Amino acid sequence: MHIPDGYLGPTTCGFFYVVMAPIWAVASKVVKKTLKAKQVPLLAIGAAFSFVIMMFNVPIPGGTTGHAVGGVLVAILLGPWAACIAITVALVVQALLFGDGGITAIGANCFNMAFVLPFAGYYIYRFISYNSPVNSNRRVIAAGIAGYIALNIAAGLTGFEFGIQPMLHKTALGQALYCPYGLNAALPAMLGEHMLIFGWVEAIVTALVVKYLQKQDPGLLEEGRM
Amino acid sequence: MRVRKRDNNFIERSIMGALCFLKGSVFSDEYASRPGFLQSLDPRIKFITFIIFILAVLFTKSIAVSFVFYILCLALAYFSKIDLVFFLKRTWIFIPLFSLFIAIPALFSVFSPGEAIFSFRVVNLNFIITRQGLYGASLFVARVIASVSFAVLLSITTKHFELLKVLRVVRVPQVFVMVLGMCYRYIYLFIEVVENTYMAIKSRVGRRIDYKKGQHMVAWSMASLWYRSYQLNEAVYGAMLSRGYRGEPVISHDFKAGPKDWVWLVLVTFISGALLYCGGLWKFNII
Repeated sequence: MHIPDGYLGPTTCGFFYVVMAPIWAVASKVVKKTLKAKQVPLLAIGAAFSFVIMMFNVPIPGGTTGHAVGGVLVAILLGPWAACIAITVALVVQALLFGDGGITAIGANCFNMAFVLPFAGYYIYRFISYNSPVNSNRRVIAAGIAGYIALNIAAGLTGFEFGIQPMLHKTALGQALYCPYGLNAALPAMLGEHMLIFGWVEAIVTALVVKYLQKQDPGLLEEGRM
Repeated sequence: MRVRKRDNNFIERSIMGALCFLKGSVFSDEYASRPGFLQSLDPRIKFITFIIFILAVLFTKSIAVSFVFYILCLALAYFSKIDLVFFLKRTWIFIPLFSLFIAIPALFSVFSPGEAIFSFRVVNLNFIITRQGLYGASLFVARVIASVSFAVLLSITTKHFELLKVLRVVRVPQVFVMVLGMCYRYIYLFIEVVENTYMAIKSRVGRRIDYKKGQHMVAWSMASLWYRSYQLNEAVYGAMLSRGYRGEPVISHDFKAGPKDWVWLVLVTFISGALLYCGGLWKFNII
């Protein structure tokens, strides 16, 4: 889901930087206000955690493996605003230091994976789990459903961003200048693979991690820690 | 997100992946310390000039101009004492090869209707390659490889902690820069923790693990990593306090731009502007 440089045109790249700027500003403000002084390193730890969990190979049937994004998991653990900063930092490190995801596409990648994914996932999780106890099965199921739905929303958005490129940027002769596939191809391609494979990987990983944390230290899942 | 299929099990792959990642990073810092052209530039000016290059590649509508930028990038890598085989391997795998693969259907009239330049039949199906499809797919791949190469060249010729400090130049809030710097250090620590955990699991369970058990193991590793990370927080905060942290991060600047850096900035701006202008004149005569 990491969009590389060259897939999106300058208008789309610029648009998402403009959209993300106030979101990053609000996230910094909210986190600064709610974060206790001694929890400052937790943001960096959260960012490194989101970076590392994207590297895990999760086995799926047929001997293959897939990667989870872990955006919803980070949002459940840190809260959505802190997750927004942590995932943004992880994406910037990936783009700048390891060439994974484009520098011009940081705005779009952050919108999909550091804003839509954690916020959608966090509120779906809160809605389904409602007031259930921290160690209830309902929370595990809520985490899985939130992971699946939020990842597919983010994948759908990525497909939409790819799909509008031929409409926004083409020559007078109809030649595509950036991602060459329209909505009719990009959207089903992105949604198909995520609904069939990666959404399930995200759901299983998110649910199982919540289940393990319930056993290990339920306090880590309580709201209002940050 | 990728799907890989190999014979050995996922624990092996995760360990190998982490090791490759670490080795790649160590090599990167080794290149950043060599006495080459790009290494001698002020990191702030270098960062700005590479952003100019990447933006120029993004804005060009000409395959030839994208290609010239790519050649320029390879020349810069050569003059910065980067092993070109290493550089080509690092830049072509995975994004450009993947882009090349996904660009293939765009050659055909189904996705890019227009003037037919070549056609062939496979089992009663007529495949037509169009001029528009060939142009779009070629420009797409050329643009991706040129931008990815510039991004990788920037990262391997600049020490990583300097590159993170440079973000202050583009007015990134201090809290982000501080978190970036700390996050970078934790990544190495966490990879080591995961590697040790997987090594311990492998030594106890043998080779074959079915996928359901594997999923539980991955989730357990993540949960355990978060548990350990959370406990680490207090110790790190104590260390920060003992080093003088009083609630506001302080980031030192020891960069110094000389005449060579300014000449390089002007040159890059001129070259990029000139190539973009020429691209505007050439774009309709390429194919």
